[in-house]
Order: sequence, then structure tokens, then C-alpha cells
Amino acid sequence: MLTLLAVAAALGGGLPQMLVERRLAEAVPLHVGDTVSVRPLASGAALRPFVVAGVFERPADPSRISRNEFEVRLHLPDLQAMLPATDRVDRFAVVLAPGADPSPAARWIAGVAFGTAVFGSRDLAEESSSTFRVVSRFHHAIGIVTILASGIFLLCVMTIRVDERRRDMATLRLVGVSRATVFRAIVLEAIAIAVLGSAAGAGVGIVGARIVNAYYAHVYDTTLRFALVTPRIVLLAALLGLGLGAAAGALAAWRVVNVPPQRLGER
Amino acid sequence: MIVGASLRALFRRRGRTSLALAGIAVSAALLLDMTMLASGLTASFGELLGSRGYALRATPKGILPFDSDATIRDADGVAARMAAVPGVTRVARVLGAQMWRMDARGAAEPLFTVGIDRTAQFLYTLTAGADPGAGEVLVSEPMARTDGLRVGDRVRLATGMDASLGRARDLRDYRVSGIGDFVYNYAGQRSLAMELGEVRRLTGRPNEASLMAVAGAPGVSDDSLARRITAAVPAVSTYSTRELMGEMDKRLLYFRQMATILGSIAVVVTALLVSTIVTIGVRERFGEIATLRAVGVARRRILAGIVAEGVALATIGCALGLPLGLWMAGRLDTILRAFPGLPARLSFFAWDAGRVSLAMGTVALIGALAGCIPGWGAVRSPLGQALREEAE
Repeated sequence: MLTLLAVAAALGGGLPQMLVERRLAEAVPLHVGDTVSVRPLASGAALRPFVVAGVFERPADPSRISRNEFEVRLHLPDLQAMLPATDRVDRFAVVLAPGADPSPAARWIAGVAFGTAVFGSRDLAEESSSTFRVVSRFHHAIGIVTILASGIFLLCVMTIRVDERRRDMATLRLVGVSRATVFRAIVLEAIAIAVLGSAAGAGVGIVGARIVNAYYAHVYDTTLRFALVTPRIVLLAALLGLGLGAAAGALAAWRVVNVPPQRLGER
Repeated sequence: MIVGASLRALFRRRGRTSLALAGIAVSAALLLDMTMLASGLTASFGELLGSRGYALRATPKGILPFDSDATIRDADGVAARMAAVPGVTRVARVLGAQMWRMDARGAAEPLFTVGIDRTAQFLYTLTAGADPGAGEVLVSEPMARTDGLRVGDRVRLATGMDASLGRARDLRDYRVSGIGDFVYNYAGQRSLAMELGEVRRLTGRPNEASLMAVAGAPGVSDDSLARRITAAVPAVSTYSTRELMGEMDKRLLYFRQMATILGSIAVVVTALLVSTIVTIGVRERFGEIATLRAVGVARRRILAGIVAEGVALATIGCALGLPLGLWMAGRLDTILRAFPGLPARLSFFAWDAGRVSLAMGTVALIGALAGCIPGWGAVRSPLGQALREEAE
């Protein structure tokens, strides 16, 4: 109750207002109606009191996650009054009439406001997402290495399985089962192993993505999702597994069907 | 002899062993890369920070170098107080600003410009000409190359753009005094350096600095010197190289953790491969092992032979994976160095003999453990049953 009275007094005192990010409000802690003193680092200005008018949640923005600094929002004139250079802004956001083409509008603004650079929101997004394109390329490269290792592993497993059953293969061949049938059987077995492995991998991936997201949500206190398992990714992984399985099976089968059945039983 | 026989058995199935070795090599290469990535950028950043002999950085209170427009006020006084701290040998002041280069058609190009102290600067290495003096400017190598600039040429610079009047402010020609290789620039960055006083005058900040770099006397600990400077000049934040590397570490937490996850996966894959190969090999030689036991060969010696198989597989795989890993590190580094805004001299992958040895030693240990499990099963199985199964 006393706090509420103090809030009423502060708001009635005509102090400028500010919004505080939820994480900062929790860390300090701050509540609506609290008075805080603010001083910009960029000037030697004295501390200035502000009243916390509200708490906001910062939009999930991956481009700011590495620094992850706390944020506050002030009214533009209040901020300008504290900075050494008044009547200055970093950027304007311009809303165009529905259907207006952003490109000629951007050229016109750049021509009128000398020295400014004007970007359409799509160009800006393209520009600011370059970091993530690099990360994406890195992930692709790591993915290729992982596929290579999985392919070799699968081929190794298939070779071992086929080697283990050389005597069975010899028997099949000697009772008249054709090379093509043996070949197909081995390839199908490899595909089945790969499909089962891919399904298990998708399950591990989904669980892993949840763990990763939960971990980073805790570390950065964000709603951003760091790992996504989409149907497209699952399909791609399944197709890759299928392809790798077929290739590994074919290579392993090739080694067996080209050996005379009499020699398959040899140790 | 038993160990030799086990190793010969390993290479009896050449195709299978070669495949396993290829798999272990790829996994070991991935593990090597992740080991190099886990600390690479931080180590590389540390080297870069100390590359010119200035181990400490002083910034406006509470911020990291060039993280905001904030400046150190009364910079000359602050620098003098820092220089008086015992153990400090040099203090370099830097003021960052944005200038615009105007071309003949009136088009303006914004350029990051640093004001430097000619007697103590750490931001670039001269490749041609001299440090900038009054009315002079030093240009970065990429800018000189693309614009065909040479020492003695003139460039037209403005301190700002007046949007309402539609013209450049303080337009003036500067002589190119030299060309520099900027230590902290990203690849292809076009930037300028000017004399500190000139930048201060042009930007209307007469006694300010964005950043100061401090060099300590040989043998003086960076951390203790940083503490002494903070005590003497509480208005600034002083960071030792170690502290800045720590900050870098926090920002690159994602890469370190990803390296840990991928490295762990590589270890698991290696363990699976080695254990699969050794297990199959042991099963195939079950009768042989039983016979050896029947003729009195000690279990310990047989187990040692099987463990040697695992260690041999893992060690040879590591040896093959090492050059592959180094090649992959180079390719991955090329991808990651395209990060916008990172100094071109930074490397994400750093060779650390201790860490690499530890990683490769871990793989060899995994090989030994992977050999232990099937080996233990083979030497502990009932002898009569093993011989009967082999006879059947």
C-alpha cells in the first residue's frame, strides 16, 4: 500500500517516464512507479530521475543475442535532452501508403535528405542477416562432415553384417538363389537399417532441439528458438539416410555377389 | 607375441578395417576441429590485442572498446594520470569518428576514422609513407588498392552531411600521408586514420578519447596493472587482455558450446566404430582365444592383445584424422571469417598443442576402453563352452 502511495506521488510529480525491459526489471528489481536515475554514458550529464511507467518484453531478435544487453525506452525529447548533440536521431522508420513501391520512395527520400542511406525493410533484413548466413554456411559444412562420417559408419556396419553371413550367402547361392536376389536382399536390409536409424535420429533430434532451446532460453532469458526440427529437415534426413543406406548396401553386396559361392564359406 | 597376433588379425580383414579407420579419421578430424574452435577465437583475439605491445585497454566507465559513442572526458589528463601509475610505460589515445569521403560527383561515402597519437599508436602498421600529420590522412590498404590511392594524393573529406541544406559540412582536401595495414579492420574495410588533434577539432570534441591502450613494463602483471590504473583513475574501466578475452568468450558462448556438443558426438561415433570393429573381431576369433586360454596363455595377455587392437585402430585413425582435421579447420575458418565486423586477422581455429594432445589422447583411451569390453567378455567366458561353440 505504501508503495502504491509513493507511485501516485511520483507520477503526480511530473517526472519523465520510461519503459524498462522485463529482464532488467527482474534483475534490479524495478516496478511500475519506481523512480530511477539515469545518465547517458556518452556525456558527462548529471543523473536525471525517471519514473518507470511500464515493463516491456523485448522482441526476440537473434542479431542482438550475443550482446544481450538490457534495454530501456525513453521519450525521444527526454533522451535528446541528455545527449551532447540535440535534434539528432540514428534512424527514421517510414510507413508507406498501402501499395506504394518502396524503391522509388527510398530514392526520393535519399535525394531529399542529403547524406542519408535509405533501405527497404527487405534489404535491411538481408543486410542484418549476414551473420546468420555465415552461421548457416558453417552448419552446412559441419552437416556434410557428419553425413560423411555416418555414411562410412553405415558402410562399415553393412560390410561387417555381410561378412558375418558369408556362409549363409554361400548356401543361398549354392541352392540356386540368384546373385540379383542376394544383392537386393542386402540392399533392402541396409535401407531398413538406415530408415530405422533415421527415424531414431529424428527422435533424438527432436528431443535434442528441445533440450537446446530450453538451455539457451535459460542462458539468454529469451523466447528465441535456436534449434528447429521442421518436417522438411526430417524429410531431408530420411532421404539422405535412404540414399546412404542404399549406397552402403550396394557396395557391401557387390563385394559378396562377385565372389564364387564355394569361396564364400572360407574363413 | 599375443599383441602382435591380435594386430595382425585386425588387418586380416583389410576392407573392414580400412572403412573403420576412415570413419575414425573423420570423427577424429571433427574432434580436432571442435577442440581448435572451442578456444580458437578467444586465443586469436588475445594475440591480436597484445600484438602491438599494448596489453590493457581503458574505456569510458562500464563499456567495452567501441561498444558505444561514449568517450573519456579530460582524456589528456586521464592519460597523464595513467602514465604516472608505476609499471605503465606508454599510453595511446584513440578517438573514433565518422567522416565522409566526397567524390567528384558529390557522392558521399561514410568512413570510420580514428584519431591517433603519432608517438604512440597501435592500430595499424605502416606499409607505405608516414603517419598522418596536420592536414594529412592515412588510408587503409583495401581503400588504397580499390581507389588507386598513393602517398601524396589528395582526398576530399567532410565531417558530416547537412540534410536540410543538402551539402557536406567542413569539406576539406587532405593529403594521403601513408597507407596502413589496420590490425582490427575486417576484410576489405575502407577506413582512415588522422592525427588525434585533427579529429578532435573536426568533431568538436577537444579533449576526448574513445579508447586508450596501455603498455606495461616487462614482468608487470596485466591484471595487477589494470587494478592499479582503476584505483588511480576510477572514471574509466580498465581491462586486461585476459578480461577482454573473457568478454569475448561470453559473446561467443554459442560457438564454444556447439564445439563441445559436436566434439562429444565425434567421441561417441569413434567409440561406436572402434567397439564395433573390435567386438566383431573378437567374436570371429572366439575359438582362437579359447584355444589360447586352453594352452595356458594368461587372460591378462589375451586382454592386452585385444586392447591393443582398439588402441591401434584409434591411434591410426587419429594419425589419419590429424591432416584431414587441419584441412577442414582451414575451410571452416574461411567460412566463419566472413562474419561481418570481425577483424580479418582473427582466426576461429587455433592450434593448441596441449588441447589437441588431450583430444587425441582421449580418442586413444576410448580405443582402449572399446577393446576392454569385448576382450573382458571373451576372456571371462566359460572355456569349455567357448571351445564347444567353436567346434560346432
